Amino acid sequence: MLWETNGSYVNGRTSSKSSHTRNMAARTRLPLLFPKKLPPLRNRRLAHTEAALKEPAYPPIVPSLTAKSKCARVRQVEDQVKKICDSPVEEKLSLITRIQRKKFVVYPQTFARNADRWYQHFTKTAYIPGLPEKFTLGPERKTQAEEEEESSPPAAAHTTLPGVDSDAFADIRSLVTRVILQEHWHMKKRTPFLYREQEQMVGPFLRNLVTGLTHSLATYNPLLRLSSLDIAPQVNFYWRRGQRIIPKGHRRGRQEPTRFQIDDQPHCQIRITQQLQQFTPLEASYAADVPEVTFAPDLLPLFRRQYDNNIFTGAKLPDPACYGHTQFHLVPDRYHRDRMARQQQSDQVEVFLRANGLASLFAWTGAQAMYQGFWNHEDVTRPFASQAVITDGQFFSFFCYQLNTVALSVETDANNPRKNLLWGTESLRLYEGVQDGAVVGLNDGVVKLLVQFLMNQP
Amino acid sequence: MPVTRLLYPLYQLGNPQLRIFRPSWFLTLVRPGKEQPPDTVQFRIPMEMTKCDVKNYLENIYNVPVGAVRTRIQFGSNKKRNHLNQKVKQPDYKVAYVQLAQEQTFTFPDIFPEKERAASEGSMEEMQEKFMENEKQRQKLDPRRGGVTEWFGL
Repeated sequence: MLWETNGSYVNGRTSSKSSHTRNMAARTRLPLLFPKKLPPLRNRRLAHTEAALKEPAYPPIVPSLTAKSKCARVRQVEDQVKKICDSPVEEKLSLITRIQRKKFVVYPQTFARNADRWYQHFTKTAYIPGLPEKFTLGPERKTQAEEEEESSPPAAAHTTLPGVDSDAFADIRSLVTRVILQEHWHMKKRTPFLYREQEQMVGPFLRNLVTGLTHSLATYNPLLRLSSLDIAPQVNFYWRRGQRIIPKGHRRGRQEPTRFQIDDQPHCQIRITQQLQQFTPLEASYAADVPEVTFAPDLLPLFRRQYDNNIFTGAKLPDPACYGHTQFHLVPDRYHRDRMARQQQSDQVEVFLRANGLASLFAWTGAQAMYQGFWNHEDVTRPFASQAVITDGQFFSFFCYQLNTVALSVETDANNPRKNLLWGTESLRLYEGVQDGAVVGLNDGVVKLLVQFLMNQP
Repeated sequence: MPVTRLLYPLYQLGNPQLRIFRPSWFLTLVRPGKEQPPDTVQFRIPMEMTKCDVKNYLENIYNVPVGAVRTRIQFGSNKKRNHLNQKVKQPDYKVAYVQLAQEQTFTFPDIFPEKERAASEGSMEEMQEKFMENEKQRQKLDPRRGGVTEWFGL
């Protein structure tokens, strides 16, 4: 384009020409010399081009995040679930237990009648009387085990155990008698105060028994050497199951999930570094049946409170012994069988023991699973197994629990065929009594079961 | 002979019981307002009774095996007002939830069942019922029209 100036001395044109015609002429004037190299065609609109090769990339059509609509709420929930799934374990736990709401506090040791049926419904557990196969040893199975093991020489009939020979078993028997005599014969204890009898008489006995047994069986069970024995630990678990319609208030008519919390304090427990082997495969639990209770938990009676939602196995998250082995529980004076007999409630004794075993073991295995990162929307990939022994000094009951599913809330439970399993025995008497410095009627079967429980290893 | 008071011998532990004292408390079995588990029975009891009293009452007088008793006091409303604008108090009462032992269950019976009331032949009620039925039948449209109205017809 030619440089245009108004001065007449540049091009020799007079200013008498009207500017309009001059501008017009300037616009239509082309350069005198056609340049050899044309400037690149910046405007390609007129040139023939084929259609664009790329598809236009629109953002995905999703429901709004902040609108006051049901799909927005669904999207918010999905985002929260995804956020929890993507975070590491400590953050997962803190995100799940962040919001405090009114929840039912489930006490493992409860006065409520027929509590074990209700607790089975809350935890989706099926009860199987008796113990799993590895603990019930008949004569044929024992000889097979002996042939496989070859570590224990074939010895007298019912006192042999795989991995433990009869001398060691005799040692253990004498240890048990020593512990019983120490607490009930040699120690001079003053008459206990009201409702302090179990704590004073049986508490130390159980503690000594557990410590002595773990020490003597550590030579045979390498897991116990790296285990952790806790005295009176805290075990907490928080979960949601079922829902109800809110009857009154500003949220009336809406669905609300029922939340539960267990705060348990077993007498002592053993935590190990490796996980115990499952008692039965996961698929075997599909056929088990769980009692359904259609009534609200209030009718048990169960009461609601609002406080911190805790999930705790007995040790904090970085602890290497994060898997559970055995818990030992003490039956308090309030639920002692003599007192229940005086109140004509002897049938509730077994119910109490089952409810105690169920709730405590569910809380422990659930917390172990949470520590590994499994939660409501990410179900466990392998079953978590633990054991418990509940005693009141003379009578021992043994329980085995296998946690197959932790997805118990309404959304995740709709198509979940898995159920948790609880095996349990009736209460077995360990000894008849103590007379003249000797234990009368020591039951070898119970000692054998105790040893088998502690010898359990993956 | 003048009326004299009957004197019983003084009672000491071990003597035969010559007098029987019955409590002046009366329990009322009620239908639960909210659905209760099958082993739970709901009573209205006098305010002065306690859980132990309820248990002993049912076990000794009625031989009902009682497992557990829970009580609560229901406040009777004081909100309603009469024609003089005075507050009218509904009385308070105590409710007991009794759980039966030995796996017994109890369902509250249906006291007012629905009866098929067929009027007796030749009576006024039967004629009136027939008349009402006929009137209703006349109001209904022709069933062959299949619910279509008669507004746009011949």
